[in-house]
Amino acid sequence: MSDRVVVTGAGVIASIGAGVEEFERNLFAGCSGVGPSPLMGGNAVAAEVRNFNPQPWLGNKGIRVLDRSARLLSVAAHMALGSTGLSQQEGDGDPDLGLVCGTMFGSVHSITSFDWSGITEGPNYVNPMEFPNTVINSPSGQAAIKHKLRGVNSTISAGLVSGLYAIHYAAEFLRFGRATALMAGGVEELCEESFLSFAKVGVISQRGCPQPFGPDRDGTVLGEGSALWMMETAAGAEARGAKAQLEVCGFGATQDAHDVTAFRVRGEGATSAIRQALRSAGIEPDAIGGIIAGASGSRAGDEMEVHALRNVFGDRLGRIPVCAPKSAYGEAMGASGALGALTAGLALAKGFVPPTAGYHANNAGLMLSSQPQALNKEYALVNCFGCDGNNAALVLKGLN
Amino acid sequence: MRRVVITGMGLVTPIGTGRAMFWERLTAGANGIGPVQSFDTTGYSAHLGAEVKDFDPSEHVRTRPPEALGRGSQLAVAAARMALEDSGVDLTARDRYRIGVSMGTTSGEPQMVERYNDARKAGGLESVSADILPKYPCNVIPSHVAVEFDLHGPCLMIPTACAAGNYAIGYGFDMIRTGRTDMMLAGGADSFSRITYSGFARLGAIAPERCQPFDKHRKGMVPGEGSAMLVLEPLEDAIARGATIYAEVLGYGVSCDAHHMTAAHPQGDGAIRAMAMALKDSRKTTGDVDYISAHGTGTPTNDRVEAIAVRTLFAERAPKIPMSSIKSMIGHTMGAASAIEAVACSLALHTGVIPPTMNFTEPDEGSDLDYVPNQARKTDPQIVLNNAYAFGGNNASLCLARVQ
Repeated sequence: MSDRVVVTGAGVIASIGAGVEEFERNLFAGCSGVGPSPLMGGNAVAAEVRNFNPQPWLGNKGIRVLDRSARLLSVAAHMALGSTGLSQQEGDGDPDLGLVCGTMFGSVHSITSFDWSGITEGPNYVNPMEFPNTVINSPSGQAAIKHKLRGVNSTISAGLVSGLYAIHYAAEFLRFGRATALMAGGVEELCEESFLSFAKVGVISQRGCPQPFGPDRDGTVLGEGSALWMMETAAGAEARGAKAQLEVCGFGATQDAHDVTAFRVRGEGATSAIRQALRSAGIEPDAIGGIIAGASGSRAGDEMEVHALRNVFGDRLGRIPVCAPKSAYGEAMGASGALGALTAGLALAKGFVPPTAGYHANNAGLMLSSQPQALNKEYALVNCFGCDGNNAALVLKGLN
Repeated sequence: MRRVVITGMGLVTPIGTGRAMFWERLTAGANGIGPVQSFDTTGYSAHLGAEVKDFDPSEHVRTRPPEALGRGSQLAVAAARMALEDSGVDLTARDRYRIGVSMGTTSGEPQMVERYNDARKAGGLESVSADILPKYPCNVIPSHVAVEFDLHGPCLMIPTACAAGNYAIGYGFDMIRTGRTDMMLAGGADSFSRITYSGFARLGAIAPERCQPFDKHRKGMVPGEGSAMLVLEPLEDAIARGATIYAEVLGYGVSCDAHHMTAAHPQGDGAIRAMAMALKDSRKTTGDVDYISAHGTGTPTNDRVEAIAVRTLFAERAPKIPMSSIKSMIGHTMGAASAIEAVACSLALHTGVIPPTMNFTEPDEGSDLDYVPNQARKTDPQIVLNNAYAFGGNNASLCLARVQ
């Protein structure tokens, strides 16, 4: 249980880029993927993976039966495997290589379509080929088949913080010796059902412009995508000569137990999650050199995060560079935590916290910027908070 | 690392509610399967279901109007309330940030998708009320449990389909033994759904008359619903407060077939590796196991593969290990199934009686395994394995023991 867990590779597909290189370039250039959403149609605005075609990564074989989530996840897995030389192109696949995937709505669109055909055409006309896509774990099951991942396979759902839970879950499994290498992160697709879930309760930005921590922010813009890390024990990575880029060293999670549809603005639970993450990493707040915020432009959610950060960091908060990357890749729901963790890892590797796309102002005294900001310490904090009361925080250490 | 024990159990099942009623009926071979009542199955190719009948959520959901919760959440809150009462723990004296909720499910709140589709079929998208879809994401179920009992620790759903209950209990076990939390409510929930039902019916997987796991004449599974929640805590805490200890969680294993979304690997590759990992995690060997709670859905293929897996891993010892499937009585309660079966395993360890496989007439040709046919048996098991397999090739085995 004492072994350290490290990150040796990554894969990502999001509105601002496919592949870590393109994602990083656009993130650090301050680009945003928020714009008109062909997928949602009409005047809808989202951070969509536009013109998504999995074929360049996955080929043609077996793609037809995969829904959008399974395709996004399989593409991210393809990239993560390739980045670490663990692709399973031949043989039966590795029984010690697995996948842990966070998701919020999972395959809701596939489920809804399947049910729709049942109630409009009759129960005997549902397509049995589509039934496997109706289970919430279908993306990770499909990706496991596609990439011959025979080890631990798990799907984690904790709403908007699912991605961070998945990373923590994988780290625990590696420490317990139940796997030697696990891809972990999240996936979420944009679809009518998830979109309406947010839109009908009025939390989507009417201006179509998320302004995390902005004084006149008016709501969230949804995003989609998938991000996965390849995680291994430090000893395992060293033994096979893989370069460890980051250490996953602290995690904290709490539930506000207050209401499943509203933030607890004073942020007691969020504060406790961040403190737990620092404590389990064995560090003091002073050691944090950069913060990747969970803020998405939500009036209540962003206010809660400011309270929590203020509670933990006190007056020093104004001197810690902060990035709120959801103005770039949107509130990607179950993938958000994984995208945030990936962002933090890139920041530690580069020695700079990325800019916050479209940043103008904040009145919370946070060190946000439209330009990259120097990150001079070894550790970064990733936050993720959900309006269902779930709070999670992750602490990472750069290994340059 | 800390040892972890089970000190409270609550359930809502097709054969009864609460630990005592469930166990009395389970060991008597009760039947919870009958014609589907919650929707009209005219036009379906199947008609049997294992539904929870006469369930009144208002007895259990006390902090909010019960109708604010989906049925999956209602069942889970009810099971959680009974588990907490069964454990005798005094929550008022506890640090709520040290108590978490870990659950499993196959479909979460699928009735919200049904309501959404019914509404848009009747009146278009405009007529869909705003409160339906936010109740769908499956993690609202453990969140509702946390709200009901004011629990502030880690709270998540592990939706690994029909193996999910074992995954969730396993995660709860990990959280306590590493000291991240001091108590976990762990289990699973699923509600009866026309979506799941029409899928299994279309696959031709539903039994026409009865559920007969491992029987030569078995014709299918029976979709069901229910919830079980277990209170997990460190052994020292349980002893200190004088709690009844039903069983100890020794370890668990998970694997993936990576073979097919709905069909098990023909040689039981993933099932074998999950059982082997559970034993290794528990520091036990195949020679230590003296009861297996089978996944045993009753479909021709799944049961054959599970028997092959057990025969392969346990070799010549396999026929000496009693193995039963309670799905013969309660149907397949999906994500709740392995949590309900974990309760059955715990009570088998606690009482010394193992539940039977009902509706058993004769074994497959060449099969020499002991399926505990039609009658509960007093065997005083010490170490048991609880198997669960799922769509997506997700397999999970949990190892439980009588506390030594």
